[in-house]
Amino acid sequence: MDGVNGMVWPRFTKGALMVFRRDFLSWVKYYKSSVLLNFGEPLTNLLALGFGLGAYVTKMSGDPFVDFIGPGLLAVTAMNAVTFDMSFEAYDRLNENGIYLSMITAPLHPAEIVGGEYLWEACRSLLYGLVFLVVLLPLGIVHSWWALLLPLPLLVTGMLFAGPALWVATAAKNHEQLFYYFTLVVTPMFMFSGVFFPLAHLPVVIRDLILLTPLVHVVNLTRALILGQFPPTLWQDILWIVGYTILFMALPGRRLSRRLTD
Amino acid sequence: MTTNAPTTIANPSVPATPAVAVSARGLTKQFGNFEAVAGMDFDVYEGECFGLLGPNGAGKSTTIRMICCLTARTAGSLTVLGEPAAPGQRTIKGQLGVVSQEDYLDPALTVRENIEIHGRFYGQSPEVAALRATELLEFMQLDGKTNEQVRSLSGGMRRRLVIARALMGRPRLLVLDEPTTGLDPQARILVWRKVRELKAEGVTVLLTTHYMDEAQRLCDRLVVIDHGRILESGRPRELILRLVGRECLECPDIAPAVVDGLTATLRPEDQAWHEWQSDSWVLFSPNLSAILDRWDTAGIAPSLAYRRPAGLEDVFLRLTGRELRD
Repeated sequence: MDGVNGMVWPRFTKGALMVFRRDFLSWVKYYKSSVLLNFGEPLTNLLALGFGLGAYVTKMSGDPFVDFIGPGLLAVTAMNAVTFDMSFEAYDRLNENGIYLSMITAPLHPAEIVGGEYLWEACRSLLYGLVFLVVLLPLGIVHSWWALLLPLPLLVTGMLFAGPALWVATAAKNHEQLFYYFTLVVTPMFMFSGVFFPLAHLPVVIRDLILLTPLVHVVNLTRALILGQFPPTLWQDILWIVGYTILFMALPGRRLSRRLTD
Repeated sequence: MTTNAPTTIANPSVPATPAVAVSARGLTKQFGNFEAVAGMDFDVYEGECFGLLGPNGAGKSTTIRMICCLTARTAGSLTVLGEPAAPGQRTIKGQLGVVSQEDYLDPALTVRENIEIHGRFYGQSPEVAALRATELLEFMQLDGKTNEQVRSLSGGMRRRLVIARALMGRPRLLVLDEPTTGLDPQARILVWRKVRELKAEGVTVLLTTHYMDEAQRLCDRLVVIDHGRILESGRPRELILRLVGRECLECPDIAPAVVDGLTATLRPEDQAWHEWQSDSWVLFSPNLSAILDRWDTAGIAPSLAYRRPAGLEDVFLRLTGRELRD
């Protein structure tokens, strides 16, 4: 049987598309409240920090402060939209309301469930990222037509953060353990990934450690596209993003497979 | 079975020996050191309703999960609809409908969406899934609830919706894991009627239940299992006659001292056995009338006693004992 010894890669099949469809149908019912939830925090950050703190810190590495943090917060919004759904919601689908358990009685493979979830999270990331972009537009933060390319990194970002969060959801024994993921991983990443300040002046060791995490590279890429400034190291960010996305993709499959068919 | 009997009015395309839908030989499932299923042999014939009866923890659900290709067997063989059962066996799963113990309905979706999407999981086109959903909502008498949220449904409606969902893929084998637990009598009767209708259409039904009256009504054949093993198997009526006899005498609220006096009069030729079922003392014997006459003559007949037909419940209690299971 697959899924016991080897890695279980997601399968992007017709069945996966139907899992995607179930997520979409469910989202349509709740999008009003869920959009508010996912925007509340980054928008508060943008307004309070960008214009509040921004009144004192006027420039950040040459850009107006609000211009600096806006694109970073866009990346964070996308990450959070995906992470919340793939941790708390997926935990419930597995443990509380049994949605995965009902899916698995049909001719669906766990890897197709993972595939469908990834497709949906890619779309979620795109959706929430683009709506945030629309918020940035009237604030005059979008400086470049390159921003039109944002859908591509947003789709990839959705896949990137879906894997680890779903892995946590399949491993967690209760909701409290999911909070650890946020406290120990998501929030520190949010604080230190160059969203609020550039990494240039941090000690090299710390900077290198940060560069080993995924969010910083997404932040660099969204900032480049929105501000139209392309640092010579941007190709490295793109490589990191693609690399991590592929690497993380296989994270939850095996565990989900075991949870559903054991 | 006689093949050319003139009384046979059956469809000639139906073979005399029924085809086997599920066949288990030495079926075993271990979780670590715990043997949940410890070598079971049974066959489920196509078109029949087959019952899997046993106390909690007897191994019913594990057996069901192996048949549904939701967990791998540790040893033995298991053939379902002609294919070896194993997780990920799409050919089998595509022909199964599963009513699990828990409802597992999608709280975010409407009644119709819940079953329509399930049809899509079986690879149905949007049109086929929509048509099938309409049919089944009507069949399960939920057509007035089509666009309601699942959480507004009563327990009986939820259960009917779960059955409708299991039927979306037009299953050859319908697996019902405690389909009526927690339902009121009206809802149970409706479920039973639907199961019979499905059987009449040729669907094979595999049923687990705690309700012996349910098993007695629905099952053509059944096995009673405990500790992962089959204790007895057969047709309900045959099991009752063989294991507990045609009838029994039930004496509620009787003092143990009185019982001692009564049992002292029993003779070997009575082939009697008796047990306590809750607060009632129950006596089984093919010789009940003679025993009652004897008690009357001796003037020790209990003031309150019901003579009733023995049932599957008596069989079940006799086979699996009375201590509480969790």
